[in-house]
Amino acid sequence: MNKNDIAAALRGSPVSRRDAVKALGAMGLTVATLPGMTRRAAAQSERGTYFTWGGYDDEGLFPTFIEKHGTPPNFVTYGDAEEGFTKMKAGFVVDVAHPCSNDIPRWKESGLFRPIDTSMLSNFPDVFEKLATLPGARDDGGQWYVPFEWGATSITYRTDIVDPGSAGESWTMLFDEEYKGKVAVIDSAADTWWCMAILAGVDISKPLTPENIEKTTEMMRKLHPQIRMYTNDMTSLAQSLASGEVVMAVTWNETPVQLQAEGVPVKFAAPKEGTLTWNCGLMMHKDAPNVAEAHDIIDAMISTTTGKYCIEEYGYGHSNAKSFDMVDAETLASLGLDVDPTEYINAGNFIYPQTDEVETQMNRDFESVKTGF
Amino acid sequence: MTSATSATLAVDAPRASAWRRLLMRSEALRGYLLLSPTLLVMLGIMVIPMIGMVVLSFWTQLAGNTFDNAFTLKNYADAFTRDMYRILFVRSLGISLLTTFFTVLLAYPVAYYVAFHVKRHKMVWIILMTLPFWTSYLLRVFAWKIILGYNGAINSGLLSLGMISEPLTVLLYNPSAVVITLTHAWAAFAILPIYVSLEKIDRSLLEAATDLGDGPVARFFRVVLPLSLPGIIAASVLIFIPTVGDYVTPSLVGGTEGYMISNAIQFQFARGNNWPLGAALALSSMVIVTVIVMTYVVVVRRLTARIG
Repeated sequence: MNKNDIAAALRGSPVSRRDAVKALGAMGLTVATLPGMTRRAAAQSERGTYFTWGGYDDEGLFPTFIEKHGTPPNFVTYGDAEEGFTKMKAGFVVDVAHPCSNDIPRWKESGLFRPIDTSMLSNFPDVFEKLATLPGARDDGGQWYVPFEWGATSITYRTDIVDPGSAGESWTMLFDEEYKGKVAVIDSAADTWWCMAILAGVDISKPLTPENIEKTTEMMRKLHPQIRMYTNDMTSLAQSLASGEVVMAVTWNETPVQLQAEGVPVKFAAPKEGTLTWNCGLMMHKDAPNVAEAHDIIDAMISTTTGKYCIEEYGYGHSNAKSFDMVDAETLASLGLDVDPTEYINAGNFIYPQTDEVETQMNRDFESVKTGF
Repeated sequence: MTSATSATLAVDAPRASAWRRLLMRSEALRGYLLLSPTLLVMLGIMVIPMIGMVVLSFWTQLAGNTFDNAFTLKNYADAFTRDMYRILFVRSLGISLLTTFFTVLLAYPVAYYVAFHVKRHKMVWIILMTLPFWTSYLLRVFAWKIILGYNGAINSGLLSLGMISEPLTVLLYNPSAVVITLTHAWAAFAILPIYVSLEKIDRSLLEAATDLGDGPVARFFRVVLPLSLPGIIAASVLIFIPTVGDYVTPSLVGGTEGYMISNAIQFQFARGNNWPLGAALALSSMVIVTVIVMTYVVVVRRLTARIG
C-alpha cells in the first residue's frame, strides 16, 4: 500500500482491511527495528562510552574530543553513581565512568577498573596534586582515578519567599512547617542522606556506626513529609524552583548558578552546620573496549577549555589548575571559587569512604523513607 | 547424468515420504512445527529467564554481586510480611483496578458509537483511535505532566479564569495522577476489543428486543451489554495486568504517594543491590495478578452463564 492509497483512504475511498493491516504492520516493524538500528550504528563508531550523571551528557564538555574525533563520546547516564555502580557490577561495560572520591576504594575493590595511563593524558601534569592523590586515587598499581570537578551540596532557596531570619542559614530551614510540601531534594542517598547526617551531628569524616545510620535515617524520616519531590532531573528541579512550585531544594551548586543567570532570585545557602563538599572524577573500566578513546575522553575533561566551561556554566571547581586563569576574577568571586582549591579541599566536608555494607544499608534506608516508611 | 539424479531421488524418496507420512498423521506435530519459531523465542526470552528468577528468589544476596545459594524462604517472608511491601502491593492493585475501571467505562461509549452509529469509513475511525499510540509512551506521560503540572494547562486555565488564586498542587505527584495518565495511555487497548465484540452482535437481536417491548435502556442492559462482555473481559485483563507492573508512569507523575511495587522491584535490582528480594517481589506480584485475573474471569463467566 503506497502513501497515495493511505491518503485516499483518509479521504474516504474504500481501503481493504488487508491493506490497512499491512500498513499498520509495516509501521510496527519499522518502529520495532529502529532502536536496534541506532544502537548498532553507535557501536560501530567506536568513539568511547562515558557513563555519568544525567546533565554531564553535554557536548560543551568535550570540545577537544570533538575536534579530534568529530563527535562527542557516547553518553550513557545514571540517576546516581550507586545506580551506575550496581549496573556495572551486573556486567555493564563502559569505557569511562564518573564516581566521586568517596567511592574510589569500593569501586577499586570490585575489580572492575584498571589504572589509567597518565602518559596518555597531555593535561595531567596541570591537575591539582592534592586531588589526584585523594585516598585510593593513586597507589603502587598506578593512577586509578583522575579528578574532574568539585563542588558542594546545600540548599538553594528563593530569597524572595524564604527568609532565614535571625537564626541564619541552616539545614533546619528545610523543616519549616510553612513550606511543607514545597521542598525538593536530590533523589540520591549520596547527597540528601549525607546532608541529613550533617544536620544530625554525625561526623561524616569517619566510618559510620549503626547508631549514626539510625540517627540519620530518623532525620530523613522527619524531613519526608516536607518533600514534594525526590528527583535526579536537575532541569525539572530548577524549573520547579523558578515557578515557585518548590521554594527550597537540596541541590548542587550548579542549580543556583543557572537560576541566577536566568534572573530567578535564589541563593545557595551556607548552613551553619556545614555544607557537604564533594569531588568527582573519572575511572576506566577494566574491559574498556576503546582504551585510546577512553584516555581521550579523560584528557578532554581535564583540559582547560573544558575547565573554563565547567566553571562558567556549572559553577563547579575544575581539577586543572590552569582552568582558573582562563576565567576572570569577577566571575570566580561570584561563584565563590576565588579560593585556593587546595585549601578548599583541605577544609571541605568530604564523606569518608564507607564499606559496601554501609552504602547498601544507607540506600535501603533512604528508599524506605522515600516510600513513606 | 540423468540416471544418477533419478537414482538419488529414488534413495531419498522413501525417507522423505516417511517424514511426510509422520507429518500427515500427527496433527499435533504439524502444529508444533508451525509454532516452533515462536516457541523457541518464548523459551529463550521467557521460560529460561523465568526459571532463573525463581531460582534466584530462593537465594540470599551477599555483598558485591555474589549470592549465597543455600535455599531460603526469607525473601518471600519479607515480601509478604513487611508493611512496606504489603502496602505497595495493595496500592498498586488499587491503582490498576481504578485504571481498568475508568478505562473500560470511558472506552465503552466510544466503541459503541463506532460499532453502531458509524456507517462509513469505519477503518478511518479505528485508525484514529489508535492514533495516540503512534507517539512514544513516555511522550504521553510527559504530556500529562504538562497538563497537570504546577504551571500546566489546567492550572493556568483556572488561574486565568480567576477560579483559583494560586496553582493547585494536588493535581500532580499523587496516585490519582497515575490513574489519569494510565487511563489515557491504555485507552486503545480497551476500545479495540470492546469494539470487536460489539461489532459481532447480531443486529436482528436488537430488533427482536424492540419488537418484544424493550426500550433503548432495557435493550442495552439485557442484550448489548451481556453480549459484549467478552470484549469487556478482554479489555480489563489487557489493561489490569500490565498496569500493575507499570514502572515509568509512577516514577514520573506519582511522586512519593504514587510509588508502586514495580518501583520497589526496580530499586532492588539497582541501588538496593538485593536481586533475590527483587525476584521474590516480582514473582509474588505475578502470582497475585494471576490469581486476581483468574478469579475475575471465572466470576464474570458464572454471572454471564446465569444471564444466558
